[in-house]
Amino acid sequence: MRRLSKLAPLLAVAMVLAACGSDDDGGGTSEGGGGASAGEPQAGGEMTVLEDTAFTGSWPAGLDPATNTTGGANLPMMQSIYGGLFLLRSDDDGSNAAVEGNQAESGELSEDGTVFTVKLREGIEFSDGTPMDAEAVKLNWERALASPCTCKPTWPLAPDGIAVVDPTTLTLTFTQPYAAVSASFPTSNVNWIASPTALEKQGPDDFKINPVGAGPFKVVSNQLSSELVLEKNETYFEEGQPYLDKLTFQSIGGDQAAYQALQAGQAQAYEGLNTTPLLEQAQDNDQLQVSIQAATSPYVIQLNTKTGPFTDPKAREAIYAATDFEAINEGIFGGRYEVSQGFTAPGGLFYEQEVDGYPEFDPDHAKELVDELGGLTVKLGTISNYVATQINTALQTQWEEAGIDVEIEDYQLSTLIQQFTGGQWQAMLQTAGAWDPASGVGVGFRFGSRSPFSGVSDPELDQLLADAASSIDEDERGDLYQQAAELIASKFYAPFGLAFAPANISVKGVHGPGLTTVIPAALVNSQVIWDEVWMEQ
Amino acid sequence: MTAATLPRVPGNRDPRVSRGRRVAGSPALRLIVKRVLMAIPIIIGVTILASWVLSLIPGNAAQQLLGPQATPEDIALLEEQLGLNESGVSRYLDWLGGAVTGDLGQSVVSGQEVSDLLAERLPVSGELVGLAFVVSLLVALPVALFAAHRPNGVFDRISMVISTVGLSVANYVLALILVLIFAVQLGWLPAIGYTPLSEGLWANLEGMILPSAAIGIPLFCFYTRFLRGDLVDQMQQEEYVTTARAKGVGSWQVLLRHAFRNSSFGLITVVGLNLGALIGGTVIVESIFALPGIGQMLLQAINTRDFIVVQAVVVVFAVVAVVANLIVDLLYVLLDPRIRYGSR
Repeated sequence: MRRLSKLAPLLAVAMVLAACGSDDDGGGTSEGGGGASAGEPQAGGEMTVLEDTAFTGSWPAGLDPATNTTGGANLPMMQSIYGGLFLLRSDDDGSNAAVEGNQAESGELSEDGTVFTVKLREGIEFSDGTPMDAEAVKLNWERALASPCTCKPTWPLAPDGIAVVDPTTLTLTFTQPYAAVSASFPTSNVNWIASPTALEKQGPDDFKINPVGAGPFKVVSNQLSSELVLEKNETYFEEGQPYLDKLTFQSIGGDQAAYQALQAGQAQAYEGLNTTPLLEQAQDNDQLQVSIQAATSPYVIQLNTKTGPFTDPKAREAIYAATDFEAINEGIFGGRYEVSQGFTAPGGLFYEQEVDGYPEFDPDHAKELVDELGGLTVKLGTISNYVATQINTALQTQWEEAGIDVEIEDYQLSTLIQQFTGGQWQAMLQTAGAWDPASGVGVGFRFGSRSPFSGVSDPELDQLLADAASSIDEDERGDLYQQAAELIASKFYAPFGLAFAPANISVKGVHGPGLTTVIPAALVNSQVIWDEVWMEQ
Repeated sequence: MTAATLPRVPGNRDPRVSRGRRVAGSPALRLIVKRVLMAIPIIIGVTILASWVLSLIPGNAAQQLLGPQATPEDIALLEEQLGLNESGVSRYLDWLGGAVTGDLGQSVVSGQEVSDLLAERLPVSGELVGLAFVVSLLVALPVALFAAHRPNGVFDRISMVISTVGLSVANYVLALILVLIFAVQLGWLPAIGYTPLSEGLWANLEGMILPSAAIGIPLFCFYTRFLRGDLVDQMQQEEYVTTARAKGVGSWQVLLRHAFRNSSFGLITVVGLNLGALIGGTVIVESIFALPGIGQMLLQAINTRDFIVVQAVVVVFAVVAVVANLIVDLLYVLLDPRIRYGSR
């Protein structure tokens, strides 16, 4: 969703400038540091966090959970203001990740998987002093589900499926078992509960600018997609939190400008660094600490099996045989990421790096197949962002060595959508998967027969993915996802690649979960828990 | 002899012609009225063009906001919520109807009043452009004069090297280099952010120095080279310069009182034409320096296809361009007696 490719030329000078600007002493690299070993949190301090204008730093529709159409990108702002009913937490290195209650005390799925009961903590208040009770949550859920935002959950909700049991208890009733319900909360708009009283008092237009929640911070000022200034919410339910007195999110035009602003001491953190040369510089800078987040969505080369050259399985097999993601990972990314053979990734549930029967890289076999086909010409597209276009260029080189004629193209978001909805695309480099493959848009988005963004129409695969999403037996879910990955490989539907994740960088002396430790990305970006971020005083 | 046939030179006015009629008949006023009337179709034309160009860019606000995972149902729902179901022509006419009565409408995406957004952001861009423009011009004038005083001398050659380098570097690269030197290495100036003037003059200015330098340095280089070249031509080729020199007028006096006055016409024209590009430069520079100006707002509005906001910013740009050209023409009137007292 990176839209600001207009600033892409900055990347051309990134390496030169970064090299000039780093305090390179050959050490000081800190990945995932500053967590457990950081000592006791200290209260106080003001922090400025930079967010890329092209993604997280763009909140043009405001910050009301029900009307913020970019809520999935604006996790830092939404978590700071609203806190969240549930949060994804993990050990400092990103292992043992699990969804845990935050403003919700618990979330329990019934044995048959069709009823989810949410119990709220007692006594939580919004920052305007009104109670955050079950009625407030129900109203928020109804508003959130009516939103067009892709950050709303895809629950198989029964009619009138939201019920208030008592002032602190609600139930969700589904039409079919839905195992991914708790995993659907952390990055969706149902997780963020706004004050109904403030909403009514201000009206929706003003509320989206000055939202009121029960999160760790209150809004001081909000200039959309530019600057959000927050101050500590003294009535936050967690005793002693948040640690920071003031938190400012500042939108900035790209990795290079953000990196230099950090070096100049103008900000204390930057979320979502993608540019590899800058990442290397940051790791060598003894004033900065780097936390490479745990990937949950590996890259995949979607092949359109519905039209064009990839209706022929031989052509798809040739692509598998011509593709060497290990070499791309080593050559471009210094071997920094893991290469997955399926839609699961190291930071996610059900991760299996290898898939039985996955076709090996075999350029000679690729050449034979291309000869048998009488030649193969492919148009390979992707979205305009640094990592994706780097990978596509490398793929073009590899495929051409196997005798495949390749035309590469990168698209702005809207053009990319048109390519998919037009149905005439041939190959697309995308990401697939999520922390829980069934949550959010899930794997079905890339491989489901009915998805406009899928190149596959296979009822057997549809059934496997549906069964995996509805089973409440974790082992069975894992088996079903592995079977789905094997089916994708055996039919040569889509070669999978490296599991990339952006990095968070911060100045020394800053600590916090997700910022200086690793929390897996539930969808695209990982969530920092801002209540617990602190600065050495 | 009637008033109409009186030679219109100072000190020879017909006392029977009232001051009001003289003012009404002045070239400057006629020019202002003419230009204001001409500005109306220009600005409307620019907004039509902007509307048309925006319609050519794939995707509408709903698609842009919802991203690649949006279903057709989600997009249709948001289109309805944002009022995007009407045709582009109909939306343009609605906007124009409001704009002529002073109502610039509300942002399609955020619902905020566009006039409030402009009031919030225009001062930031105005200060940025103003500083870049004034400082670049004030520095360029003496540098060009010194360079032209001794063409191919040491000063001229140094200024030429600096100007050539300055002209060769894009302003976003220059911005990053300036930040690297003055914010990262030396720590003298902030790398990002804007402090309103109400919080102190220096606090405000120190945040604007690097962004305005990023825009102003290429301008300074351009003005310097342009003016220096024109001055040298005047000094070497024009007969009035030879005449002045023959009368024993000193070289600095010839340069300042004769050549510079003539060269200033070309400079004024270039400055007027440059103002549009100057405003365009704010788009990238404001993003790099995290300045909440209209350049940053325009970029975001284009990304979200926020038609109403784009139109408002385009109107601002068009008005600035028209006013800049009007000022240039008025300066011609002021500087050139042939225009001031030219025949009707």
